[in-house]
Amino acid sequence: MSRLKEIFEYRQMITSMVRRDLRGRYKGSVLGFMWTFINPLLQLLVYNMVFSIILRAGIEKFYLYLFVALIPWLFFSASITGGSVSIISQKDLIKKIYFPREVIPISYVTAAFVNMMLSFIVVLAVSFASGVRPTVGGILCLPVIMIVEYIMALGIAFISSALTVYFRDLEHILGIIAMAWMYATPICYPESYVPEKYLSLYRLNPVTPMVNAYRDVLYYGQTPDLKNLGLATVIGVVTLLIGVLVFGKLQKHFAEEL
Amino acid sequence: MPENQVAIKVTNLAKNFKVYYDKGRSLKDVILFRNRNRHDVRQVLKGVTFDINKGEAVGLIGHNGCGKSTLLKLISGILYPDQGDVKINGRVSSLLELGAGFHPDMSGRENIYINASIFGLSKKEIDARLQDIIDFSELAEFIDNPVRTYSSGMYMRLAFSVAINVDAEVLLIDEILAVGDANFQAKCFSKLQEIKAKGTTIVIVSHSLSQIEQFCTRSIWIHEGLIKADGIPIDVHSQYLEYMNELREKSGDSSLEIPAEYLAYMQEKRYKENLRLSMTSEQQAEIEKNKAFRWGSGEVQITSISVTAGDDKECRLFEVGTDVYFKVKYKVNKPIYDAVFGIGFFRNSGENLYGTNTRIDNYGKFDITEDGEFTIIIRNINLMPDQYTVSFSIEYGQGIPVDYWKDALKIDTFTSIMDVGGFRLNHDWEFKGSKELEGNGGK
Repeated sequence: MSRLKEIFEYRQMITSMVRRDLRGRYKGSVLGFMWTFINPLLQLLVYNMVFSIILRAGIEKFYLYLFVALIPWLFFSASITGGSVSIISQKDLIKKIYFPREVIPISYVTAAFVNMMLSFIVVLAVSFASGVRPTVGGILCLPVIMIVEYIMALGIAFISSALTVYFRDLEHILGIIAMAWMYATPICYPESYVPEKYLSLYRLNPVTPMVNAYRDVLYYGQTPDLKNLGLATVIGVVTLLIGVLVFGKLQKHFAEEL
Repeated sequence: MPENQVAIKVTNLAKNFKVYYDKGRSLKDVILFRNRNRHDVRQVLKGVTFDINKGEAVGLIGHNGCGKSTLLKLISGILYPDQGDVKINGRVSSLLELGAGFHPDMSGRENIYINASIFGLSKKEIDARLQDIIDFSELAEFIDNPVRTYSSGMYMRLAFSVAINVDAEVLLIDEILAVGDANFQAKCFSKLQEIKAKGTTIVIVSHSLSQIEQFCTRSIWIHEGLIKADGIPIDVHSQYLEYMNELREKSGDSSLEIPAEYLAYMQEKRYKENLRLSMTSEQQAEIEKNKAFRWGSGEVQITSISVTAGDDKECRLFEVGTDVYFKVKYKVNKPIYDAVFGIGFFRNSGENLYGTNTRIDNYGKFDITEDGEFTIIIRNINLMPDQYTVSFSIEYGQGIPVDYWKDALKIDTFTSIMDVGGFRLNHDWEFKGSKELEGNGGK
């Protein structure tokens, strides 16, 4: 509890680090912050070309189907891979200055999250332009889904960032895991493509209920299955708790291992 | 001492470090070469206990690797102890790293916010201190430029200004008083004095014993992970220096790390003691007052300096271009060998204009076994009208000062010629093709 209070006292550090990350990201480029919006739009364009012209998936408005799941996934996978090196990349700070170490992964995930929310402006616009009319319940659920995803991503970033300090290979292993995880999640195909006998295994993936919830709101224009959302919330909270515990245990030796 | 007066309570603190023979931490190494990944456990601190009261300024000393920096990191919370604990009363700010988190592309102002937030300040607290920080850094006109355009001196000034304005109740400092130019250093030092006066508890790790003596009320000597001495700085330091000296003599290894600062410190100390033995109390008071200007080991002492134009009349005012005689008398407390005599001329601003000694001028070394004198004659002194200070030195061996008297006296020069500048250069004119009208040919 005292730890939580201390992290709260360092909230300005989190704000500063997030701002530094976001501002630093496109610093020096001609379009600057505009890239936050241009990037997802260009990605959408590419996916649209590939899946509507070449690999026809037979799903209506496939570009949107993909897009509403892909943007949340990119945030999630950044939290795993980028989050894992967040501690290592700030080693100069950690070796020389005292602050609650949790600040580093929190800042990293928050910056990625803010970036996703900005991308969501594009997602919402595209969704609306494609004729999707979300329900009131759906709109109300959307922030909840985002927060649940944030919590889950944070939990994973806590674990991966702390473990990577002691075991550097994890950085590369996690790159592969993130890729495999993406294909084990119904992002670029519907769940119905999965063979029946693997389905029970397939459904263990904690990200699936989240992706489905996003898609319910922004593609199907319906209120997400609350049972589904509740499950995602439980998974998210449990992940975060494990993350906090693991991180709290491992962070004591950061300064000497780095 | 009541409990609430204690700012830092360190109890039986121990810390081990793993020293890897071969730091292989990859998957292959872990699986294939389990045994290769051996390490030694080195105990850096072996159970240290002390209290530091509120408002105390404490110096931590010890040779490299004795554990003093580790102790500071444990107090700051960067490292966790393996045994024992540290209790701190109040907010801690550690000046172990300056400019943490600075982003080169962001402005000085933005970086103040980043850097201060890393010290745990909230936005409101930073807002309240912003003007103080900018004023202290003297960078007001550059504060909205990106930090990458700063010189390294400006960068350090900004960083130090943030750190010093955190207003912590406990301030931990690791060898960082060497920032910026001499002016800024002096400013930092007086700011630290001000902070100390406000009742902030300060712990400094430093190699400069004299800095600690100037600033701290207590010194803790850490030796091989334990406290070897704890007390008034001068007492602790003399024990420490004696120990270091013994160590060096015993090992017979002159290369054993003994910073020149320690030697100078010892010599200054011995010099003062010697002088005290042979002086009246008024002279002692005078020396105390001037101690910043005179130091050395004291085997031979300058007793008087007379300045003349070559006759017997004491003189301090000379016309540019005349000869000046400096006659220096000295007395011998203990014979010295291989001695060198020197002189130096300075402007009032401290700028060194000229310096030389008998070694530079190709004289052999001198053995000084009885009282005597030397005279140096400056021919045609060409320093333009101004006041100049003159320093004298007697040293021996590898430049070890025996009596170094900085700014021993002042002389003035004058001239009736209208030329300008710092020095009169010896010169002649030659002409071809032009015709001089009604003059006397430079005569």
